Amino acid sequence: MRMRTARSLLAVLLVGSAFRSTEAQDPRLSNRLDAPTRKALSAIVDSARAQGIPVEPLMEKVYQGLAMGADGSRIVVAVRSLTFEMGNAHRVLGAVATTDELKAAASAVHAGVPAVELGKMKKQSGLRRSLTLPFTVLADIVSRGVPVAAATNAIKSLVGAGAKDKDISDFQRNVSVDIEKGAQPAAAAETRAKGAVVPPPKAENREHE
Amino acid sequence: MPDWGRNTLELMVQELQHPVRLDESFDRRVMVRVRRIYAERRHRGIIGWLGAAASISRRPAWAAALAASVVAVVSLGIVRVVDRTPGAKPGQAIPIQFVLVAPDAHSVAVVGDFNNWGLNDTALVAENHNGVWSVSAPVHTGVHRYAFLVNGKQWVADPTAPRAADDDFGQPSSALVVEASTQ
Repeated sequence: MRMRTARSLLAVLLVGSAFRSTEAQDPRLSNRLDAPTRKALSAIVDSARAQGIPVEPLMEKVYQGLAMGADGSRIVVAVRSLTFEMGNAHRVLGAVATTDELKAAASAVHAGVPAVELGKMKKQSGLRRSLTLPFTVLADIVSRGVPVAAATNAIKSLVGAGAKDKDISDFQRNVSVDIEKGAQPAAAAETRAKGAVVPPPKAENREHE
Repeated sequence: MPDWGRNTLELMVQELQHPVRLDESFDRRVMVRVRRIYAERRHRGIIGWLGAAASISRRPAWAAALAASVVAVVSLGIVRVVDRTPGAKPGQAIPIQFVLVAPDAHSVAVVGDFNNWGLNDTALVAENHNGVWSVSAPVHTGVHRYAFLVNGKQWVADPTAPRAADDDFGQPSSALVVEASTQ
């Protein structure tokens, strides 16, 4: 444990402050954030980097907050929350997860999906299959009212059936249209998941054709 | 076989058995030509080699598998994308069209991770003032959060895109996945 802490501290010392280096390049950060906010963000970003969490999404969150006119304390809360969610995702997805997968997974965790479920999906799908899109769609349908369990089961079944990104994108579009038309969110997700991946015809059927 | 036929055959055999005399410079000229072709191919590099006409014989099954592999490697899986650029590589920016129907708007901009949330960086244009605002902007492969800013003050999520669940700042936003895929 002591060794791990020492390594983290060393990493911070070696790479310097990611936040401060970005701050030096972009006057928006120094002009629009007060000193306590900058200090808090710098500490969060450095801590994230020391844990192996990519810091680019954290900086993007800062920029989003500035663009949307949020005050410093709200930006700090949002960045801290994102760091926590990405940390959870990082633990369950492992070192093989890309920054994009972590970012999408953090969205799903933010929406209420347990991180452990995302880890199960990653194991189920294999290392080579990117889950950026499935996680993004999972977060989307939960935010549209599909219960977490139903949404997770739907995405799991799609990934397990070998659905391509385009299939999952079509699934998201169909579910959102169904809900807008008044369908019960859980029913829409369950029904659309059944039809999203059509299994190939069996060999014996082809012989009769 | 008639005599004339046998004679003709013997003449042909004799001619074929006769050693061919080559010009003394023949070997040298052949090697010069071979070296020139080799140098040209090296100069063209891998792109030239890929583009060069070649005759390849394969069994149909292998040919289909080879073609499928090539298509799979260069294909892009893009979520909310109107435009596709075959051959785009991870990290490469490709043009993405953003569209918002806002008949009463005076100005629309798209603001997101891909332009560091710069409020004035990517303005949409409504050609013929018909209320359909659009812009094509270069976006790198990856997952991006974004939103439309209408009249400089109202944030609007893209109605055709997945929602970004993390609306930490009380404003809606959307998710865009531009992914170089090996599927």
